[in-house]
Amino acid sequence: MRVTSRRDAVAAEIPRLRRYARALLGDSSEADDLIQDTLERALARLGQWRDGDNPRKWLFSILHNLHVDGLRRRSRRPPHVGLDSLGPEQSAPAADGASGGDLDRALQLLTADQREVVLLVGLEGLSYAETAEVLSIPIGTVMSRLARGRDRLRTLLAYDLEKEAEHAGLRRVK
Amino acid sequence: MSGERRISEAELHAFVDGELLGTEVAEVEAALATAPEDLRVARAIANLNDRLTQHYAHVLQEPVPVGMAALAARAGRRRRWAPAQVRAVSIAALLLAAAAGYAAGALGRGEGGRQPAFVASAFSAHQVFVPEVRHPVEVGAAEEKHLVQWLTRRLGTEVRAPELNAHGWKLVGGRLLPDRDQAAAQFMYEDATGRRLTLYVRKEAGLTDAAFRFAERGDCAAFYWIDRSRAYALAGRLDRTELMQLASSIHAQLGGLNPGQG
Repeated sequence: MRVTSRRDAVAAEIPRLRRYARALLGDSSEADDLIQDTLERALARLGQWRDGDNPRKWLFSILHNLHVDGLRRRSRRPPHVGLDSLGPEQSAPAADGASGGDLDRALQLLTADQREVVLLVGLEGLSYAETAEVLSIPIGTVMSRLARGRDRLRTLLAYDLEKEAEHAGLRRVK
Repeated sequence: MSGERRISEAELHAFVDGELLGTEVAEVEAALATAPEDLRVARAIANLNDRLTQHYAHVLQEPVPVGMAALAARAGRRRRWAPAQVRAVSIAALLLAAAAGYAAGALGRGEGGRQPAFVASAFSAHQVFVPEVRHPVEVGAAEEKHLVQWLTRRLGTEVRAPELNAHGWKLVGGRLLPDRDQAAAQFMYEDATGRRLTLYVRKEAGLTDAAFRFAERGDCAAFYWIDRSRAYALAGRLDRTELMQLASSIHAQLGGLNPGQG
């Protein structure tokens, strides 16, 4: 593949990378910083991209490594309190109503390990095998983190049948 | 109770995430019919995925910050295919579709013929129209109401274009197609990165309802199902989990349509 088409492939993934980072970090400016770093590193290493590699998987791996580096650095620093976390709800869409903030908060209460797996599979639609590769962990670990993470998320959201029914009903009316 | 198959927690997640193979899917489906608690959990997991997708959908629609876009675009513009290349691709797709259609037809008469004929039609229609640059659809999304009324009349059964914006897919439009001696419809969707997805619909009065089944042709994947005398096939060059999420959303949205005998 030529360099230009590789760059195009990277550019095409930006919206998805941003969506994942936003959900992972719960803060839009931190998320965009992470994506900026991811893109810089990816573009500097285009040569390492083997033909046939799935651009999404490759980019998510780079993002994951940078995220882990960031977590390590942060654990050596006092906790960061961004403006976003002091203000009301950052940029949650109005259409999602009150439940939107709940989902953001509930996700942030998972461990970073669980959050990554829940989002890569449930939001980004990666297969278990792809998720395992992106995070450099065995598939069994993907599955156990997924089950634990979703369990915890459901508990945090007090997800019950009535809410589900309500949710399905709302969508049908639209 | 002896002989009853128990579903493990891991299997339940794998089922929802589209990770199981054909026979395993059927086994879990059968087991779920007699395990209401497992079914409840499966639904809750699927809803969680759906909720995540809807909640963060707006990020996909946000304009990419200038700095990021500039970074990725530093060398060269976005590539546009020249008309000659497009024509070549369309003809190649047509030949491929014809060959694959023949193979599928031959298979259908032989052993592995359990896949209904409409699936092959859906794949062919996908491969022929998805590469189209100028005329991907007959009637565009701007005239969605007209499109849906027209297709409903011609198919003789209520059809609708499901809403996939929350998943990042916009309706491009649709077209009427011949399928054996009947009319069929194709709706086309596109995401922000230019990938395309098609939903094929046809009246199937003779077949009983069937849950999702997975099929592949080349690098194109499809989920197909039959719901109240209507056959659906959702096809695209997507991974299985992503396609499954979209198929579930479509199935839920179209479940409210009138029964298909019309």
